[in-house]
Amino acid sequence: MAHDWQADFEQLVDAHQSMVFSLALRMTGDRGLAEEIAQDVFMELDRHLGRIESPEHACHWLRRVTMSRSADALRRRKVRGMDLWVGIDENHGAHASMEERSSPLGTRLESMLATLPEAQRAALVLRYQEDLTPEEIAATLDAPLATVKSQLQRGLKLLRAKATSGLREFVRDKKYVGEG
Amino acid sequence: MWEKVEPMDDFEQELAQALVRRPAPPSLKRKIMARRSEHGPRRPAMPWQRLAAGVVLAAMLGGGVLWRQLVEERRKGEAAREQVLTALRITGHALNDVNSRLASRRSEQR
Repeated sequence: MAHDWQADFEQLVDAHQSMVFSLALRMTGDRGLAEEIAQDVFMELDRHLGRIESPEHACHWLRRVTMSRSADALRRRKVRGMDLWVGIDENHGAHASMEERSSPLGTRLESMLATLPEAQRAALVLRYQEDLTPEEIAATLDAPLATVKSQLQRGLKLLRAKATSGLREFVRDKKYVGEG
Repeated sequence: MWEKVEPMDDFEQELAQALVRRPAPPSLKRKIMARRSEHGPRRPAMPWQRLAAGVVLAAMLGGGVLWRQLVEERRKGEAAREQVLTALRITGHALNDVNSRLASRRSEQR
């Protein structure tokens, strides 16, 4: 029963900090900023704790607010004339932690994802990190379903095109390294 | 293509693997809890608190409406008083006029 559920702030932090941090990191490309966004999101959750009705509601709410806060942060940075996605590996040792968890191919794909337009990146991150359906993505981003579907298709097409040329170089480089 | 029941192709699977959630920095939770304790734990309002807030708000609104009615009644009373005074003044003038005419006729008859 959803009505019997009582939101426990600390449990929610434990359960969702990885999701919130990862979403913010993949949207902004900056570990420090992602951490700040995650803190702000959880502070906002604390203020709205009374209105959270269920664990699913908490998860959906956190995704929504994280994406919105990340978009705000990107907008603020654009106004200041900074490009956050200079490269995820240049920021706060993200490269090291990435390589710990991902294959080199995955790392390349993630870097390529970072070069996509913000709306396409948001849709793809929610689709492939969070395993959401287009309907759920549309609800999270507060965007029309048709727009989300189009962003997913265009984003995936662009990423495939980048990967086709980029990964060819990657495989060639690996081959040379292997031969050397 | 987008339904969960349909399998992802190799590229999409590779992308999904690349986009696994990253662990949050170990300090994140500590910072969040520290910020929370700085501002004090915020608890949702209890039902009696909401009721009390509602009663206070209703009392304030009711008081405002009553005060407005009182002011309006006072203004109407003042206007009515002015009208009565004006009517009395007009009547006084008329009576004075009649009085002076009667006095002049009497003096003519003599």
